[in-house]
Amino acid sequence: MNWIGLKTLIFREVGRFFSVYRQTVLPGLITSALYIAIFGFTLEQRISEIHGIPYTLFILPGLIMMNTLTNATANTSSSILQMKLLQQLPDLLTAPLSGIEIALAYIIGGAVRGMVNGVLVLLLGVLFVGMPVHDPLGTILFIFLVSWAFSSMGLLLGQLAESWDQLSMMQNFFLTPLSFLGGVFYSIKMLPDWAQTLSYINPIYYMINGIRYTTLGVSDSPVYISYVMAIVLTIIFTFLAILLMQSGKKIKY
Amino acid sequence: MIDPAIEIKGLTKSYGNLKALNGVDITIKKGEFFGLLGPNGAGKTTTINILTGLVFRDEGTTTVFGKDTVKDYRFTRSKIGIAAQEFSVDWFFSIEKLLHFHAGYYGITKKEAQPQIESLFNRLGLTEKRNSKLRELSGGMKRRFQLAKALVHDPEIIILDEPTAGVDVELRRDLWKYLRELHSKGKTILLTTHYIEEAELLCENVAIINQGKILKRGSPKSLTKELGTAGISIKVLNIKENIKSILSGYKYTIDENKLHISVKDPDVSMPEIIQLLTTEGMHIQKIESTKSTLEDVFLNLTGKGINE
Repeated sequence: MNWIGLKTLIFREVGRFFSVYRQTVLPGLITSALYIAIFGFTLEQRISEIHGIPYTLFILPGLIMMNTLTNATANTSSSILQMKLLQQLPDLLTAPLSGIEIALAYIIGGAVRGMVNGVLVLLLGVLFVGMPVHDPLGTILFIFLVSWAFSSMGLLLGQLAESWDQLSMMQNFFLTPLSFLGGVFYSIKMLPDWAQTLSYINPIYYMINGIRYTTLGVSDSPVYISYVMAIVLTIIFTFLAILLMQSGKKIKY
Repeated sequence: MIDPAIEIKGLTKSYGNLKALNGVDITIKKGEFFGLLGPNGAGKTTTINILTGLVFRDEGTTTVFGKDTVKDYRFTRSKIGIAAQEFSVDWFFSIEKLLHFHAGYYGITKKEAQPQIESLFNRLGLTEKRNSKLRELSGGMKRRFQLAKALVHDPEIIILDEPTAGVDVELRRDLWKYLRELHSKGKTILLTTHYIEEAELLCENVAIINQGKILKRGSPKSLTKELGTAGISIKVLNIKENIKSILSGYKYTIDENKLHISVKDPDVSMPEIIQLLTTEGMHIQKIESTKSTLEDVFLNLTGKGINE
């Protein structure tokens, strides 16, 4: 293992997004605050409690998850695509770094961004809306697993994409709809039967469900399923991202 | 026997139907200054990219100090520093930080890399720009940064892909001087170029590559001697009738009182010809010679100029 190389690339990846925190950290926080203000405070009076929880509190765990997973995905996918398009990737590929080291460094970089974003929205909820955190360790664990899993998925997408257009298509057509349909703003019990069944094949549903349980103590499905799903997704995406990086597909010719 | 710094044997590479490399063999000894000379699209960059791991080889072997560049990539890549032809772009970090990152990829800590980075900044005139971002540098500065990046881990082998493409004359001279310095310190240098002058001036040995094949290799001098043709033109006051027998060993033309003789090496042939003519009582008014260059060699081998 080239530990110094791995560490350097992690620092580079983390430094990259921190150096443009206005694009990578603040927007998620502002968007979440807006969601809380608009959906929560204005609509709360008209929407009855869900599982006995006021609406503003109910949507917060979903916002944390959405912010975590979109940022984790965006970091790796845009970083690797940018390096590819700006001729920086040869610097990594000609260095004595293995595919595993490169993939891990990217994944860790993206996971850090996912966690920073997730934890900030969590703090926003706790400090300004008084969100309870029923199981702090479980909450952090969920944010961590989701960050890692979606960071790995972002790396897969970024390595396979050939243009910004393709990348934004994958995000807009898959990731955003799946997040919204994963029950950020509603309990799936409010949906007709067929839509409930469809929700059960949406992995993001389990992530939101899991963190809703670790914070608010309520969920649509048992929490252990969410843990299992998060761990399985993390393992699968990490494994695939490493394999793809080792194969050199779309980055070596 | 000491393993050569770089050994390439039977290397082939195809992109679909296009055969980019068609059985390339190159051996570069430790400490050698070697030039890979050929027109654009000849296979120079592909060869380098296979050595450094950016491109997969189809057939053949590529070794660095006796180790396979695929199987022992950690060893081989740590021995090589590459200055690529194309500039990379970075929006986020200062050039000093970028050099530290680059050193880090090669397993060198920040502290260990600092003295080398200082000396590279000094030597390449980048000290004042250390806090600038890449996009703020001029083309010439970017070229120097490219070289600094290649040297930051103090590699034994330096690979330069068209290092002076698009730089002004002054910087080109400066870079040449620096490359000679590096060579005198024992570095092995592999340079690709389509500038004849660069190869002749710097390289101990060159290989001429065209359409994915090495056509010829040797020192620039031996190649020009073997394949180059130079001209000597002599204005003679009184060309004698027996000129045909006097110059029977040469290829020549006569245009009024001017002789055009094509020779391989004017330095050798000129005194001989002068003596032949003067002993026969001919009066020489003017002599001009055009020196043979690798351009002639290239022309001779491919029927085309290198930049055609």
